[in-house]
Amino acid sequence: MSVTQYRRVAALAAVAGLGLALAACSTKGDDSSSSGDKVTITVDCMPVGSQKELLKDWNADVEAFQKLNPNITIKSVSVGAQCNNPPDFTARLAGGTVTDVFYAYMTDLQQVLDSGQAMEITQYATKDQIPTWDSISKEAKAAFSEGDKLYGIPTKNYSMGLLYNKNLFTQAGLDPKNPPKTWEEVREAAKKISALGNGIAGYSDYSAGNTGGWHFTAELFSQGGQVVTADGKKADFNNDLGKKVLQNLKDMRYTDKSMGEKQLLQWADLLTNAGAGKVGMFVGAPDATTAIVTQFQGKYQDWAMAPMPGQGGPAKGTLGGGEGYFFKKGLSKAQVEAGLKWLAYEKLTVGKGQFDYVRAKPENNPVGLPQPQLFIPGSDAFKADNDLKVANANVTVDDFALFANNPVPIKFEPANAQAIYAILDSAMSAILTNPNASVDDELKKAEDKVNQALAAAAK
Amino acid sequence: MTTRELGPRTLLSHTQLTRGKGPAIYWTLLIAIVVIFTLAFIGPLYWMVTSALKTGQEVAQTPPTLFPANPDPQNYVDAWNNLTLGKLLFNTIYYAGGALLFQLVLDTAAAYALSKLRPIFGNVVLGAMLATLMIPAMVLIVPQYLTAIDLPILHISLLDSPFAIWLPAVANAFNIFLLKRFFDSVPQDLIYAGIVDGAGPLRILWSIILPISRPILGVVSIFAVTAVWKDFLWPKLVEPSPETRTISVGIYAFAGGTPQNVVIAAAVIAAIPTVIFFLIFQRSIMAGLTTGAVKE
Amino acid sequence: MPSATVAPSPVHASHPAPSGRRPRKAPAQRITNNVTGYAFLIGAVLCFALFSWYPMVRGVVMSFQRTRRGVTTWVGWDNYERIFQDPSFWTAWKNTAYFTVLALVLGYAVPFVVAIIFNELRHARGYLRVLVYLPVMLPPASALFLFKYYAYDPSEAGLFNAILKFLHLPTSQWMQSTSMAVPAMVLASTWMNMGGAVLIYLAALQNIPGSLYEAAELDGAGLFKRIRHVTIPQTKLILSLMAMLQVVATMQLFIEPLILANGAGTQDSATSVAYLIYQHGFFQNDLNGAAALGVIMLVVLGGFSAAYVRLSSKQD
Repeated sequence: MSVTQYRRVAALAAVAGLGLALAACSTKGDDSSSSGDKVTITVDCMPVGSQKELLKDWNADVEAFQKLNPNITIKSVSVGAQCNNPPDFTARLAGGTVTDVFYAYMTDLQQVLDSGQAMEITQYATKDQIPTWDSISKEAKAAFSEGDKLYGIPTKNYSMGLLYNKNLFTQAGLDPKNPPKTWEEVREAAKKISALGNGIAGYSDYSAGNTGGWHFTAELFSQGGQVVTADGKKADFNNDLGKKVLQNLKDMRYTDKSMGEKQLLQWADLLTNAGAGKVGMFVGAPDATTAIVTQFQGKYQDWAMAPMPGQGGPAKGTLGGGEGYFFKKGLSKAQVEAGLKWLAYEKLTVGKGQFDYVRAKPENNPVGLPQPQLFIPGSDAFKADNDLKVANANVTVDDFALFANNPVPIKFEPANAQAIYAILDSAMSAILTNPNASVDDELKKAEDKVNQALAAAAK
Repeated sequence: MTTRELGPRTLLSHTQLTRGKGPAIYWTLLIAIVVIFTLAFIGPLYWMVTSALKTGQEVAQTPPTLFPANPDPQNYVDAWNNLTLGKLLFNTIYYAGGALLFQLVLDTAAAYALSKLRPIFGNVVLGAMLATLMIPAMVLIVPQYLTAIDLPILHISLLDSPFAIWLPAVANAFNIFLLKRFFDSVPQDLIYAGIVDGAGPLRILWSIILPISRPILGVVSIFAVTAVWKDFLWPKLVEPSPETRTISVGIYAFAGGTPQNVVIAAAVIAAIPTVIFFLIFQRSIMAGLTTGAVKE
Repeated sequence: MPSATVAPSPVHASHPAPSGRRPRKAPAQRITNNVTGYAFLIGAVLCFALFSWYPMVRGVVMSFQRTRRGVTTWVGWDNYERIFQDPSFWTAWKNTAYFTVLALVLGYAVPFVVAIIFNELRHARGYLRVLVYLPVMLPPASALFLFKYYAYDPSEAGLFNAILKFLHLPTSQWMQSTSMAVPAMVLASTWMNMGGAVLIYLAALQNIPGSLYEAAELDGAGLFKRIRHVTIPQTKLILSLMAMLQVVATMQLFIEPLILANGAGTQDSATSVAYLIYQHGFFQNDLNGAAALGVIMLVVLGGFSAAYVRLSSKQD
């Protein structure tokens, strides 16, 4: 085949492909194809009814955005308080029922690509659509890229630390200004807090709904470990570091009895207890306080945050993650651009949408948390955002200063994270609910299963 | 106790109950049974209603309190406002009603054909249907789900459509079996009489068989409605949107981001309409289920 | 009871009219008959085809395939190998079998005994019937959250633990304990579902002619003999049908682990085969593995029903 011939075939194929893509879109209504016309996109992760203020803000933003862009219509879809509940998310991917622009965790890239539901958006994601694009953290972008192909737009990032209840610290005779720095100190503090009785857990942790595996990973990172080897082919937690993680928990749970009786907790369970003032410390990201306040009847004045504890010293690493939006395969150029514009407006503009601190302040939404921090430190966007944040802070910035000023190296979650977390849940739940469970056996079991899962995924 | 009060003869004879120590033992046992069952079946419901009136602090108290110290309806208000309970209830009733209608029409017709019209290979069809009795829905959940989201040949998705619940409900071998057994017992002579009068199959079904089958239709209706009411995973998969969810799935999803007391309050509110419905119609529901058939 | 004749109940329907009594028909007549027959059948047959028969075939096919990035390939027994290597697989079967046995004792025998007792009562029967059927009317999620948050709370604030403590009995970790998880699920599930079974048994009991008991009594049969020789044989058909349905139903054990244990529980002590299917399909993003699990379950149940059919035909 000569070069010209090849080119012609390629062009034909491209036209045919485009035709198919257009045909696929046409089912969505005739308003989505050509330029200048009206464009409609569906977007998920609209706040749910119980998040009253957030929902009101979202709706106001949609209205304002549509006024600014009269040719774009945003249809919002709510998919639950926890926008990505793994089984529901998997069902949406398998069923092809994701919205045009759909929410996902940074850990979902592999699964989203495997499902064949996402489109590449490298050529669309530019300063023209997202003015702050060049100021956005490279790592966050990388989490949504495979090679140099970009598939999603990061909208939030976090890294974990130690959240603690200042009230309970004071009651237990601990200094809220001087929270534990190591796992050993966490253990001592947990003992004192749980001695308050009344069903209070000194330290609390997850063990169900994939959140157990997620926290195991975070705690393993703090020990300097990793969940899978660098080549991503083998589990790498059945070692001294992994054992330390589980042994710490086992000691607190059964030797000290400082973690409370109720285990098998998943996201909402722990935060319910935290909101009710029954949890002294837990590992989490700054925005966990947002959930405690907006959904779980808690007060953010109670909470402060320290860096991730380490074993015998500062943590060697902390888990970083985040969220963003993918674009469904088969969208027209106009739809992708509309989606990018919306994300830019709602998620990535200083002073607007999620960064509208002036609005959030009186709404009892915490302002002044050190994260998300999507903008590269030193960039204009970073400075502008930070100034606004400080000016409108309603949380005591000091409460998060220890966390913000003592950064721990961030480690990102492994590929296929959710499948691995599902397996590690069982190690966590075994240690937290069965006094006879053996740390070694549980790690070995989980290691075998993760190796199997990785082997299957690599095929 | 008079014989009239005692009703028909059962395991124990009337004399055993009326003579000697009989009445004493009977009344002791009766009272014990009533107390135990009331505690076992009303007790938890009482606990549910009152716990949702307690604060988070009080619920975690040891030992638990029997009455809420300061009853606070706030949890109920929050649950009602945040869960769109009305919509969820409407959805569930809509799905159950549709499933009932589809089953009454299609399954009755099928049972009639298998029982009375007996077309060629009818027994094979019946066998293939009955074979599915042995197959729990879970076995097929994945391929069934993939079928529902992309129907063969038609290539349409039933997701978030009520048909995703209605059509699979028709594939209910147990109800077809019940109906067929009952139709089998309708005397053939009645049908011949109909044929002699020149009635077609539809007319025979409508005017001869169905009127005497009312009891079994009642039973099948109850089964059809409770099946939809109790189902969880299938509606969770095929009606995923908050707007199309069933009540059970809605409560479960709600629990993923809500304090426990509010979840329980939602569970109480969700139970109220059906319990009231049941208490009002319990006589006919019970009559349908227990006596099987009482005709005048 | 008013003077009423009791028509054959569904479960006691007399045997079908022998087909030999049907008049012979001309061939043309037979063809129209077949056409109308299938016209009546077609709706249900289509639904069965779409949602039972076809998925069954598709499940088998899928279990030998794998789909990634929209491309489906044949992988032989890979999915099965993966499933068999999974230690949870065996635990799930063990739990499901344990649940099934316990549910047969609790969920099957208890409603029968309760029905027999209710049937003997001359008072409050209506009230008791309503009582046991009440939980059936609750949305299953409602009932299970009630158990999860209060009854099975492992701390001393838990309702069951408070009662146990009051009685000076050892408390339990309930769903968090490896030994109590399955019994706790059986208890919740029996409470939720037994009403239906009680009513069906009551129906069967009320169809037993009183004269049989009188005759047995004249023969000198005591209470338990009468149960053995009259009650049980007279309700045999419904008993055996319910036993089979019960086994099939317990194989579905899903919402109980999902809600009560937030998943698989301690060291998989609450996991079930059905839950494992869900976990593979929707947590581990392995729809093909889930399909293979479904096929395995199908084969096991097929063996079970073959045994059932053989046993029940032997008894006839």
